[in-house]
Amino acid sequence: MGIINRAIRNISRRKIRALLVIIALGFSMAIMVSIPAGVLANQQTASAVASNLSNVITQTSASINQTSTQIDCSLAPSFSGFGFRDFGGSGTSGGSGFTPGQFGGGTSGGSGFTPGQFGGGTIGGQFGGGAFNGGQSNPMNESLYADIDSTLSGVAAVEPVLQASEGQNVTQTLSFNGYTRDITRLEVEYTIEGIPLTSDLVDNYPVLPTNIAAGSNLQAGASGEVLLSENNSAYFNAGVGDAITILGQTFTVVGIYSPSSVAQTQTLFMNLSDAQTITNNTGYITSLTVFAQNTDSVSGVATSISTLHPELTVTTDQTRLTQLQTLQTTYNAELASAQSANSQTYSTAIEEIVVVVVATSLIVLFVMLYTVKERTKEIGTLKAIGFSNSTVMGQFMLEGILLSIIAGVVGIAIGSVAAPTLSSLLLPSVGIGSRTASGFLSGTTRISGLSVATLNPELILILFGAAVLLGTLGSLYPAWRAAKIRPAEAMRYE
Amino acid sequence: MSKPVLQLENLSKTYTLGKREVPALVNLNLTINAGEFVAIMGPSGSGKTTLLNVIGCIDKPTKGKVLLDGIDATELPENQLYKIRRDKMGFVFQTFNLLPYLNARENVELPMEGRGKSKSEQRKRASELLAMVGLSGREEHRPQRLSAGEQQRVAIARALANNPAFILADEPTGNLDSQNKQGIIKLLANLNLTQDTTIIMVTHDSQAARNTERMLLLKDGKIVKEIQGLHVNKKNHKCPHCGSMIDQNDDTCPTCKKPIYGSDEIF
Repeated sequence: MGIINRAIRNISRRKIRALLVIIALGFSMAIMVSIPAGVLANQQTASAVASNLSNVITQTSASINQTSTQIDCSLAPSFSGFGFRDFGGSGTSGGSGFTPGQFGGGTSGGSGFTPGQFGGGTIGGQFGGGAFNGGQSNPMNESLYADIDSTLSGVAAVEPVLQASEGQNVTQTLSFNGYTRDITRLEVEYTIEGIPLTSDLVDNYPVLPTNIAAGSNLQAGASGEVLLSENNSAYFNAGVGDAITILGQTFTVVGIYSPSSVAQTQTLFMNLSDAQTITNNTGYITSLTVFAQNTDSVSGVATSISTLHPELTVTTDQTRLTQLQTLQTTYNAELASAQSANSQTYSTAIEEIVVVVVATSLIVLFVMLYTVKERTKEIGTLKAIGFSNSTVMGQFMLEGILLSIIAGVVGIAIGSVAAPTLSSLLLPSVGIGSRTASGFLSGTTRISGLSVATLNPELILILFGAAVLLGTLGSLYPAWRAAKIRPAEAMRYE
Repeated sequence: MSKPVLQLENLSKTYTLGKREVPALVNLNLTINAGEFVAIMGPSGSGKTTLLNVIGCIDKPTKGKVLLDGIDATELPENQLYKIRRDKMGFVFQTFNLLPYLNARENVELPMEGRGKSKSEQRKRASELLAMVGLSGREEHRPQRLSAGEQQRVAIARALANNPAFILADEPTGNLDSQNKQGIIKLLANLNLTQDTTIIMVTHDSQAARNTERMLLLKDGKIVKEIQGLHVNKKNHKCPHCGSMIDQNDDTCPTCKKPIYGSDEIF
C-alpha cells in the first residue's frame, strides 16, 4: 500500500468533488495552453502580414520612384479634328469635344488615338467626338532640347522618344439628325516607339516593357532589332527570331511582350535612330521623358523645364504618385498596426497567463487546504502510529500534484478542441490587420488566411510541466500545514 | 523481576486556554515495568488522555522527564520521536481511527511502511495479526463494513504491527456495547499474557479497569490511588473469585464456573 496508491484512493474517495475540481483545473489549464498556441498563431499571422506588407511597400516605393521621377514633355498637340458636340447647335469649333484627360495627356501628340484613350462614350448622348484626323505628330527638334539634360539640375536622365503610328486612312460618313459629314481618320495598325537604347536608360529606367512573353528584351545598343507586342506579333504574323519589314526596312524580332496597358497594345519598340531613319524623322522626336533624380526634385525640374521651354507641355504623373503615396501610407500603417497588435498580443498573453497560473495554484491551494482540514483527524492518527512529518507532507503534495496532472490531461483534451476559440476570445487578433491588408492587395499578394491556434507536442509537454509545478506550488502550503499538525490536538479535532 | 520500561519523573503539563493556565498533570511520578497491564482511571478532565499522549510521545510535557528504557523522550527531536511512536508505541483509540478508504489489512500494514519490509512481508504480518484478533475472513473489508468491535480489533492489530513495547489504549471500549467491550478487554488481557506486551489503558469504565493488573486513579493531574486488579490473579493462574487454579486461556473458572472477565464481583 504505497503513498501513490493512497493518493489515488483519496482523490477517488470524493468523486463528485474530484470531478468538479478536475474540470475547473482542466479548464484553466486549457486556457493556459491555448494562450501560447494563440500567441504562436498570431505571431505567424503577424509575420505573414508583415512580410506581405513589406513586399507590397517595397513594390510600391519602387513604383513611386519610377513613376514619380518621370516627367513627360511634348509640344502641345494641335488638333484638326471636329467636335460633334452640341451638334446642330452653335456649330462649335473643332476639338472642343475633347477633354485632355481623355486624351491621356497628349503624350502621343497627333499620332492618332488608342481605343482606351478615346473613350467615345464619355460625352453621353451627345455623340462624343475626338481627334479623328490623327494626322502627324508635332515633331520636336531633338537638338533644341539637349539643354534640359545639360543645364538643369535635378535631372537624372533624359529619354527622347519618337512615336509614330502607321496604318490606313479610312473615310467614314457620320450622320446625326439628318446632318452628314465625311471624316477621314487613321486606322492605326501599329505604333513605332523609338527609344535610345543606351545602357544607362535600359538598365536604370523603365523605358522598355517588362513583361516579356517570349524571347528577350531589347539590349543596350541593339540596332535592327524590334520588340513586338502580342498584337504586333499577330499583325506581322511573326515570332521570335523572325525577320519583318517595317516601312521598307528589315528588323529581327528579339522578343514579344505582354502589354501592361491598353495604350501599349499596338506599340513596338526599337532603337531611336532606327525609328528616326525609317520614319524620315532624323533629328526629330515626338516627346521627351525626363527622369528627375528623386521624387522631391520632380516639381522643381518640371518648373525649370517649363521655364526653359515654355512651348512644351510638361506633365508629371501627380495623380498616380499621390495614389501610390496614399497606398504606401496605408501599408505602413497596416504594418505598424500588425506589429503593435503582435506586441499587444504578447503583453496580454503574459498578463493572462499570470492570472491563470495564479488562479490554478489558488484552486489547488484551497482544495488541498480544505482536504487537509477535513482530514485533520486522519493526519493525527497517521502521525500517532508513526508517520513522519515528511511522509505526511509528501502524501498531500502528491495528492495535489496528481490532481493537477489529471487536470492537465483534461486541459489538453479541452485545449485540442477549443484552443482556437479560447485564444481568439482571450487574445487581441492580428487578423483584422491582415484582412484589411489583403483587401488592398489585389490578386497575387493576397494573404493566405489566418493561422489557427493548435497544440503542438512541445506545448503539451510544457503544460505537463506546468501542471506538476502548479500542483506542487498549490499544495506546498497545505501539505506543510498537514505536516505541522500536532497529533494530540488532531485527535481532539472532530 | 521486571525491569522498568517507563519512568515518569516530576511530570507536569499545563494547557494555556487564552490567558488561563489549566494544569492537566501536576508533578506526576510513575514507573511501569515491562509486561504490566495498567489502567488509568479518573473523572473527566483529570488528565488521563494527556498522560497517555505524553507517554506515547504525541504530546510534550511542560516539565519533567519521560524515560523510555532510560532515554528521556522529551529531549528528542521530532525526527527521532516519530520512530519511537512507530516502533515502540501502539495506539488504540476510542473512535478506532481506521482510514476509511483502506481495507482492514491495509490499515494494519500502515505502521509497517518505512520500516524496510517488503510488500509481501507486510501483507503476511498483517494477515497473521488479523487472524490473531479473530478477523481472518475480513481482511479485504473496509471499516464501514465492519462492526464497531471488529473495527477496534483491526485497530489493535494495527497497534501491534511493529511489535511495540507498549500498547497505549485511550478508552478502547468507550464506543462499544458490553459484549464487544468484554471481547476487547479479553483480547488485550490475553495479549498481555501471551505476548508480554505492556499495556496502558485509559478508561473511566471501572468494569474494564478491574480486569487489569494495576489501576491508577487520577484526579486533578495527580495519581491519588493505586489498586490491584483481577489480572494479577490471572497471571498467577488463580481464579479471582474462588482462588482455584485456572489456565491462562480459560474464560470461566473451571471450579466456580464464574466468568473471569467482566466480573463485577470484586471490590
